Amino acid sequence: MAEFALDCLGEACPVPLMKTEKKMAEMAVGDVLVVNIDHSCAMKNIPEWARKQGHNVEIEEVDDGEWEVIIEKTK
Amino acid sequence: MSENNMEATTSTPVAAPEATEATDGAQATSIRRARAPRKPKKNQIPIGMLVVLGMVVVGIVLASRSSNLGFFWMTGGIFGFILQKSRFCFTASMRDPVISGSTSVTRAVLIAFAVTTIMFTAIKYGAASMGLPIPGSSYVVPISFATVVGAFIFGVGMVIAGGCASGTLMRVGEGFTMQWLSLLFFVVGSLIGAAHFGWWKENFIVHGPSIFLPDHFGWMGAVVLQLLVIALLYRAAMLWQKKKMGTDE
Repeated sequence: MAEFALDCLGEACPVPLMKTEKKMAEMAVGDVLVVNIDHSCAMKNIPEWARKQGHNVEIEEVDDGEWEVIIEKTK
Repeated sequence: MSENNMEATTSTPVAAPEATEATDGAQATSIRRARAPRKPKKNQIPIGMLVVLGMVVVGIVLASRSSNLGFFWMTGGIFGFILQKSRFCFTASMRDPVISGSTSVTRAVLIAFAVTTIMFTAIKYGAASMGLPIPGSSYVVPISFATVVGAFIFGVGMVIAGGCASGTLMRVGEGFTMQWLSLLFFVVGSLIGAAHFGWWKENFIVHGPSIFLPDHFGWMGAVVLQLLVIALLYRAAMLWQKKKMGTDE
């Protein structure tokens, strides 16, 4: 039940998504990953990818134009 | 980085709609963990109101000079707003199928193409049927090797830069500073391209065939053909995602 953070601030699409995919692959089921992003495109494709993979996803806008995507690995 | 110990509670599930498969068992369904409180966000609405007001004033000034200018100002503003809010991205439409297998943006672009196909045909046919010159005919340019090279360079560039032309402009406005650099080199690249354009034109472009579909298939045939191709691509996009991600939503 560990929580990991992934800092993708300043990274343009698709780098955040690819980093997230990599990080998720090495996590255990039940772990949570918090991805920090400020590229609006990643705000769309990371949650979409994660939901289609079947993970639980929440998005939080922590500042104007800055988001945290919280992903719980479910499988 | 394990700052969580608020699991146990099985009450108040706030999970996402797709949440909790059997693997989750009895644990809490909210995935949010305790975190430090944040500084409050600045309210941007007053600034937004001022910007809208400013845009209206500028629009009125422009329209008083030339109605075209005012119209372009208005459509440009609306286009940018929709682009930003919808997170519409031509780059993603070509890139995501390869990277993650998701084709939702690809299909959005295909739908946009289908709509514009119908609307532009209406405009062009309207002009042609009244015997007027067909608007936009100067954009019917030859297909040649230059098209292939240009498309390839543009594709590589837009994926590295994180946005195509419209996407870059939109994110410049959003304040994504890396893309200010993109814009700078976008301009540099355009200038280099413009300087070399004569060579491409002389050697490749003038030899290519220029095709205006209605000339070959008639107006109705051209629309049907184009919509058919778009429909096939749409179907292909769905199958691609099904294969890559196991879902075709």
